[in-house]
Amino acid sequence: MNVERIIKFELGRLNAHLPEKRITLKSALSLDKPSVRTKDGKAHYLKREELELLSKLLPEAEWDSLLLPIFISLEPKLGRGAAKIKGTFEAKVIGKILGKETSGDELIVYRPEIAIIRRKLATTTQYLFGW
Amino acid sequence: MAARVTISPNRMELMKVKNRLALAEKGYDLLKEKMDALVMELLNTLKAIQKSKAEATAQLKRGYEALSICMAALGTFETVQAAAETKKELNIDISVRNIMGIEVPTVQVGGIERNALARGYSLHMTSSLLDTAAREMELATKVLIELAELEITAFALAQELEKTKRRVNALEYILIPRLRESVKFIMMRLDEMERENFTRLKRIKAILEKRG
Repeated sequence: MNVERIIKFELGRLNAHLPEKRITLKSALSLDKPSVRTKDGKAHYLKREELELLSKLLPEAEWDSLLLPIFISLEPKLGRGAAKIKGTFEAKVIGKILGKETSGDELIVYRPEIAIIRRKLATTTQYLFGW
Repeated sequence: MAARVTISPNRMELMKVKNRLALAEKGYDLLKEKMDALVMELLNTLKAIQKSKAEATAQLKRGYEALSICMAALGTFETVQAAAETKKELNIDISVRNIMGIEVPTVQVGGIERNALARGYSLHMTSSLLDTAAREMELATKVLIELAELEITAFALAQELEKTKRRVNALEYILIPRLRESVKFIMMRLDEMERENFTRLKRIKAILEKRG
C-alpha cells in the first residue's frame, strides 16, 4: 500500500469542489441560472436570494469586483476553527453580514461566525483548504 | 512492530520516513479541518430541519383543518371530485450545489401558490372554502419540498462525515504513530551504530598504540 499516494490523492481531492473560474456578482445577477463549473467538472448553482442579499450589501458600482463564490479559507496555520476571507470586497461583504469592522483585503473569522456565514450564504460561499 | 522490521536503519530511509510523517501530519490537519467544517454544516442543516419540520407540521395542520371544514360544508364526494380535476403540475427547479465535494440538491419551487382559476377545478360548483384548503395545501407542499431538500443534504453530509472520520482516525491512531515509531527506531539504531563505530575505532587505536 502506497500511503503517500493515498494521502496525496486525498489532499488533491480536498479542493476539487472549487470553481475553475469565479464569476462576478454583476454577471451572476444577469444570468438566468447562475452557476460556476468546479474543478472536477461539476456545476455549482448559486441561489438567487443570496445574490440579491449580496447586491443589497454592496453599492452597484462594486458588483463587478465581488467574485463568487466567496472562499472561506481554512488553514491549519491559523489554528483550529479560524478561517480567512481573502479579497477586499469579499471581506467587506462578509464583514457587513457579521457586523464586523474590516480594513484591508483580509478578514479572519471564527467558527460561530462561519456558521452564520454558511447559513446565510450557503451557495455563494465555498470552503477552501489551504496549506 | 511489523512496520519497524521491514525498515533498514540508514540516513536515507530516515529522511524518507520523516518526509512521509510530515505529509501524514499535514493530511491529518487538513482532514481534521474538513471534519470540523462537515460537523458544522451538519449541525446547521439539522437545526434547519428541526425548524422546517415544525413549520411543516403547523402548515399541514392548517391544511387538514381547512380541508375538513371544506369537506363538511361542500361534501366529501364534491371535494374529492374537485381534487381530481385539479392540475397536478408543479414548477420545480432542481439544481446542484457543492459542499466540500458533496453534491446536494437545491430545489427552487416557483409558482406553487396558484389562483383559483389556475387550479383547474370548476368554480361555480365549489366554494371559497375549497380555495382556502387548496391554498393551505399548496403552502404545505412547498414546506415539505424544502424539508426533503434539507433531509437529503443532512444524509449526504453524515455519510461524508463518516468517511472523513474514518480517514482521520486511520491517520491519527495508525499511520502517524507507526511513522513516529519508525523514526524513533531508525534514530536509535543509527545512534547505536555510531556508538559501536566509536568504540571500534577506540579499540583499534588502543591496539595500534600497543603494537607501536
